[in-house]
Formats: sequence, C-alpha cells, structure tokens
Amino acid sequence: MLRRPTGSLAAPVSIALALAGFALTWLLWAGGGGTVETAWAPSLDLNLSFQLDGLAALYALLATGIGAAVFTYASAYIPPRLAEQGRSRTEEIRFFGLLVLFMGSMVGLATAQDLILLFVFWDLTAVASYFLISHDRDSAEARISAIMALLVTGVTAMLLLIGSLVLYAEYGTFSIPLLAEQVQSGSTLTLAGALIALAGLAKCAQVPFQFWLPRAMVAPTPVSAYLHSAAMVAAGVLLIGRAYPLLERSQLVLDMMLVIGGVSILVGSLLALGRDHLKLLLAYSTISQYGYVVFLYGLGGPIAASAAAFYVIAHAIAKSALFMTAGAVTRATGGKLLSEVGGLARQMPALAIASGLCVASIVALPVTLGFFADELFFKAAVERGTVVAVFAVFAAGLTFAYLGRFWLGIFTGPLQRPAEALATRLWAPIAALAAVAVLGGILSGPFSGLASDAGAASVLGPAEVSVAYHLDLRAENLMAVSAWAIGATLIACAGLLAPALNRFAALGDRFGTERIYFAMLVLLNGASDRIHDFEVRDLRTRIAAVLVPAGLLLAAGVIATPTEGAYVVGEIRQRDIGLILVLVLTAVAALAATFPRRHLTMVLVLATVGYAMAATYAFFGAPDVALVAVLVETTFALLFIGVFSLLPAGVLRRESLLPIIRRRQRRDLLVGLISGGLAFAVAWGILSRPTPDRGVAAEYIERAPDAHAADVVTVILADFRALDTLGEITVVAIAFAGVATLLRRGRIW
Amino acid sequence: MSTIVTRTVSRLLLAPVMLIALAVLIKGYADVGDGFSAGVIAALGILLQYLAFGREEAERMLPIRIVPALAFVGLLLALVVATIPIIGGDPIFTHFPAPGADVVKVGTLELITAVAFDCAVFLLVLGAVTGIIHNLALAGDESERSGDQR
Repeated sequence: MLRRPTGSLAAPVSIALALAGFALTWLLWAGGGGTVETAWAPSLDLNLSFQLDGLAALYALLATGIGAAVFTYASAYIPPRLAEQGRSRTEEIRFFGLLVLFMGSMVGLATAQDLILLFVFWDLTAVASYFLISHDRDSAEARISAIMALLVTGVTAMLLLIGSLVLYAEYGTFSIPLLAEQVQSGSTLTLAGALIALAGLAKCAQVPFQFWLPRAMVAPTPVSAYLHSAAMVAAGVLLIGRAYPLLERSQLVLDMMLVIGGVSILVGSLLALGRDHLKLLLAYSTISQYGYVVFLYGLGGPIAASAAAFYVIAHAIAKSALFMTAGAVTRATGGKLLSEVGGLARQMPALAIASGLCVASIVALPVTLGFFADELFFKAAVERGTVVAVFAVFAAGLTFAYLGRFWLGIFTGPLQRPAEALATRLWAPIAALAAVAVLGGILSGPFSGLASDAGAASVLGPAEVSVAYHLDLRAENLMAVSAWAIGATLIACAGLLAPALNRFAALGDRFGTERIYFAMLVLLNGASDRIHDFEVRDLRTRIAAVLVPAGLLLAAGVIATPTEGAYVVGEIRQRDIGLILVLVLTAVAALAATFPRRHLTMVLVLATVGYAMAATYAFFGAPDVALVAVLVETTFALLFIGVFSLLPAGVLRRESLLPIIRRRQRRDLLVGLISGGLAFAVAWGILSRPTPDRGVAAEYIERAPDAHAADVVTVILADFRALDTLGEITVVAIAFAGVATLLRRGRIW
Repeated sequence: MSTIVTRTVSRLLLAPVMLIALAVLIKGYADVGDGFSAGVIAALGILLQYLAFGREEAERMLPIRIVPALAFVGLLLALVVATIPIIGGDPIFTHFPAPGADVVKVGTLELITAVAFDCAVFLLVLGAVTGIIHNLALAGDESERSGDQR
C-alpha cells in the first residue's frame, strides 16, 4: 500500500531540529550549563541574558524531546489530513514551521533570565499557538478558539509586563537573579508577584481563566499534544517556577496559588469525569494536572518546588502520549467520543499497552515515573497538614477515575467500531514516551536529579529530592492506595454520578467565566462599532471625530499647565503692523471660507487662507516655512481642481444646491468653536510665555555649523531630525501608492 | 481652453522652473529651501505642462514616464543613507563627514551624506507628486472617454 505521499522536507527537518536541540541541551546541561549575556538596548536596561540552569534544562528538554515525538507523529498525521481537506501540501511547511517556532520560543522562554526577554518569548508562544489552533481556518470554531487563546493569554501577558515594570521602578533592573537578591517583602512585591503569577495562571489555564484550553482542542491533535504538555500551558508553570524567588516572598501570592490550584484541580477533574469527547476529557484533565503543579508551588518550600518540577516532567510525557492516543483512535475508527469507541485492546494491542502505561504514570501506579510524582506530591501535602493531605488524596482519586474511564472506555468493553491499521509513526512515538515513563519508574535518578536542579533554581538553594520505593506503611504509600481505592470506586459508580456531573458542567456553561469573556467581547465590539458608525457617517462627523477629541485633550493640557506669565496681552509695536494686517487677512479669509456654496470657490478661498498663512511665516522670519507653505498650497489647490474634474458632471452642482440642515449647522459651529477656541488658547498661552534662556532653537542654530550647514531648517530636516523626515517621506510614498491603488488598481504608470 | 499664449508661456517657463528647483536643491544647505521645496517646485513645473498641453501631449513632449519611479529610487536612497552607518557600528543617520572634518565643496554644493538624504527627499516628492498628477489626469481622460460612449 503506497500511503506515504512523496513528501516535503518540512517534517524531517523539524524532527531533526528537535532532536538536535534535545542533544545540544543535554550535552550543555551535562557540561554544567552555560550563560549568554549580551547587551540588547543598553539605554533601556535591556539585556539578552540566557542561562541554562536546572529549570531551563528541564523545560528545554521537554520542549525538544516531546517536540521530536510530536513532530514524528505529526509527519504521519498532518499530510493525510490536509489531503482530506483538499488543502495544498505547501501548508505542511507552514504548519511545521510554526511548530518549530513554538518549540524555539519555549526554549527561549525557558532559558531567559530577563523579565522583558521573558515577555517577548511569552508572546511568541501565544502567536505561534494562535496560528496553530486556527490551522483549520475555514472553521469558525477554530478561529474563535484561536482568538480566545490569544486574547486570554495575551491580555494577561500585559499583567506580566506591568508586574515587571513595577519591579523595575522599584529596583532598577529586569534581571531575575539580581531582583531575587534585592527584593524586600512588602506591598510592592506582593503586587508585582500577584500580577506575574496571574499571567502564569492564565497561561496554564487555571480557574478562572480555564475556559480557553478546552476550546483550544479544536486544533489538530499534534498541536494539542504539544500545547498541553511541553509548550504554551507548560509556559505558565515555567513562569511561576522562574519567578518563584520573587513570588515566594509573599505569603499572599502563595496562598492565592494554593487556592487557585486547588480549585482548578477540582473543577478540571469534575468536568473531565463527565466528558464524553476524548480530547475534551484530556483538555479538562490538563487543567486539573497543572492545578497540581500550581498547588505544589503554592505550598511553598524547596520540596514542593522540586515536586512541582517532577510533576511537570511526569505529566508532560504522559499527557502528550494520551493526546496522540486520542488522535490515533479517531484516525483508526472515526470515533471522537468515548461512547463511539470501545473494545479496541485486541485490535490495537501496541497502542493499548503504550497508552495504558501512560495512564498508569499519571494515576501514579508503581513502576512508572508518575508514582514518584505523586509520592512527592503527597509528601509535600502531608507537611502542610491534615486538611491539605486529605484534599490531595481526593484529588488523586479523581485523577485516577477520569483517566481510568478514558482508557477503559477506549480499549475495553464491547467493540463499537472496527479499527483500521495505523501507520507506524502514529503509535511509535506513544510507545517511546511510554517507555520513558516506565524507565523513569525504574531508574528515577536522572529525573529526580533534573527536578532537584529545577527546584533549586526556583528557590535559589538546595532542593534535593530523592525518590524510591518503600515497602512500608508510611503516609505517602497509604495515601496512594487510598487514592486508587477512591478512584476505582468512582469508576464503579460512574453511572450514578453522571447526572450530577452533567449538572455541574451545565452550571459552568451558564455562570462560568467564559460567559464574562464573551460578554466583554460583545461589549467592546459594540462600543467600537458605535464609535466607528458615528465617525464614518459623513465627512463632517469624520472631521469632528478628529477635532473634538483633539480639542478636549488640548483643554486638559491647558488646564494642567501652569499659567504663570502666560496669557498676557503684549504691546503692539510699529513694526508689527505688517504682521497684524496679514493675520487679519488670514482671519477674514478663514471666515469667508465658510460661506461659499460652490466647491471651486471654496477651494480658492481656502488657498487664500493658506497664502495668507505663508505671508505670516515670512513676516515671522521663517522664509523656509513660508516657501514650503506657498508650494504646498499651490499644489493642493491644483490637485483639488484636478479631482473635481474627475467627478461626473453635475454632481458638484447638485451637492452645492442641497439645503443646509439647521441642526447640523449648529453642531458644526460647536465643533468649530471647541477646536478653534482651544487651539487659540494654546497658541496664546505658549506664545505669550517668556521664552526660556536657551531653547532647543538656540541649540539648533549653534550646532548648524558643526553639520556643515548655513540653513538651519534644512539641517534640521536632513540631519538633526532626519528620522522624522524619513517617516514623513515614507508617508508621501504610501500616499502615492494609495492614489495609484484607488484610481488605477496599483499601477503607478 | 489652452490658448497659444498659455502654451508658449508654459513652454518658456519649464526650463527656468527646473533650474530654480535645481538651485533650491543645491543651495539647500546654504540658503532658503531644501529637497522638499525643490521637489514640489519641479513637480509644479510639470503640472503646468499638463494644464497647458493636456496629458497626452505633455507626456509625449517630456520624458515624464520615468519620473514616478524616481519616488521609489528616492525612498531607497533615503533608507541607504539612514542605514549604512549601522555597518560601522554607528547609530542610524550618522552623517559623514563628522562635525569639524573637512568637506569637499563643488561651488555651493557640499558633498556630505546629509545632502544625499536631501536629494532623496527631492526625488521622492517629485516622483510622488508627478505620479499623482499623471494618475489623476489619466483617470480624467478615461472618465471622459467613457462619458463619450454614453
């Protein structure tokens, strides 16, 4: 069977990049890490500072390692999917390019040590995920989900930026290690820490920001697998781990994380338990699983930090494999719901075993990596007290229940739909990840070492954790066994629980935070539409929309400016008479411009205003400006006439004979008075103020000879403020392109 | 509308207008005016020919065809002048020669990069305004022709 399409190089290249990145990170990490520190914009205190510490190594290894597995899976998943949808194969290049961008920004985020740099990579992951989630851009659902993910994580990213700026204002640095040395507990730190933590919580889809993540599962399965495990969502806890030296100074922030993590565990688990849709179930489970991590960080202390890091490893490996399992099952049977599939164990034994091991790892059965993750979780919980410990057991029981339901539902029971044979690359990555999960359950050394180093980077001190099997009746073991028992009971009475769970889900749909999101979206859209409608109704409202806000802003400026020495009426000297006469002419011409009904007359009167202004400049001793004013006025008058000649005959005459609406005339008068009156106030205020001893003008004149110039205006345009000029002439070029586009579909000749 | 007088006067004025534009450009660093004014003056000279002779004859008479393309030559030149200092590690728009250094002069014209930038402004303004005039005139001709058909 020739199913393999003659392929592009995109998939192999991205897999190779991921593997190379993994190997490189591994080697560098084994060699003791490394630091890169380069100035970026020194005048703004921005540095490109990267460091491969424990936390960075952990997330970089996850991003590249799981990346390699997911990309391999995608290389068999995406091309047939594109073919089914009748899309071009070149989209494969775009897809894999975005995945590599996603991976690269995760690695950058993991290694960045500067808050602003962190922010940049943070937004890069959001941008990459936006395009990946909206991969099926013909589907409205995909677009809504993508924009939701972008808005929720992008708007909260602003909190990260604000938090960073608060810290910078207080301590004068964006560098996280330097900040960690300097920060003092207090309200500033609590504020900044809470803002940064909120950004992280939104990214890892914790309550109340959780709603974007289940929506994001409309993305193609490889994207979900990557997004839920090693990228995007993991970025949230990465930020918390990275900023932990700052966050842990504030008990309030820790408590907030503890509560939010706990609530997220419950909400995610309860919603996952009732779901029928395979990927949706996994999406809710991700919310709950990251709730564990946030909960651990909220507990505080070195063991909790290392346990959180360990949990991230165990979860990422297993969760990416489970998403790929869901995709493989859907590919093989066509079923997307738990109720549509079943009894597949005999048909797909390899997939059943591999995904079974991954489920075992998350629900913490022995001989898997996850067992140790839960052991550490229980250990940290016990230290905090009985209530937390009981909650931890209950949470683990819920996890056991919904993932058990997931696996049992797919692979056991009566056969629902027969399965087609799967391409090797659709199950081999799952098997590889399952092998890693089991290997971690036997040889836990490298994993706990990595987690200890990551914890050490978070608490800036030793955070050694060691894990092993203990065949005794210690608390952790008893808690694990109780959790399994609770889970098994829950699975057994799934039928009894279903109505209550559905009611809970319906409650969430009715009163959940997603409703607030949509309500805000509708509100903002409505406000924007109303303003836009008003603005574009006719030319008058459009001009008013510029003049009135500008006038009001000026008014605010006038009110805020001290008036000392300003607003005085000076004396009139003999030599000013010429200037005054020209100004009177300007005023008369401006008033006259409001009367004519014929458009041609209007243009000529307006040109008179312009020429009179030019004469004013000349009297003020600004011949350069006067020359430009005359030239521009001439050009505009002629262009106006040229445009009029383009209009069909009679239109202008008809327009000029339209009756004038009284009400509109009054409104126009008001707009004119507001803008003109405030412009007058500002001009008067500025011009009557005594000139400072050394203004910028004096400096320009003084420096002109240095620039080899005798004409100050030219040297300002071409040298001192050349960047402004470049911007302005670019506008001229764009205006030209605009005219060519409007009149002749873009031909300039 | 155009009489023999307007045609003759427009024809006679073209050379002086261009000369003035050139003078304003060259003397930009020494006297009133700069690349922008020079560009507008030159474009107005061309506009005069359009008004007196009509589009077709003006474009037959003068090499106007290449002028709109000059806008993009100018933009390119401006970007080059702006960005070349980066190669030497200087901020953008560092002009050469540096303050205090000797300047080669050809008459009034100083050979410095700031003047090259001024020339870029001249080219861009001349090209853009001429291009807009041409497009307006052409669109006017076309609407007239379609009006005839009706």
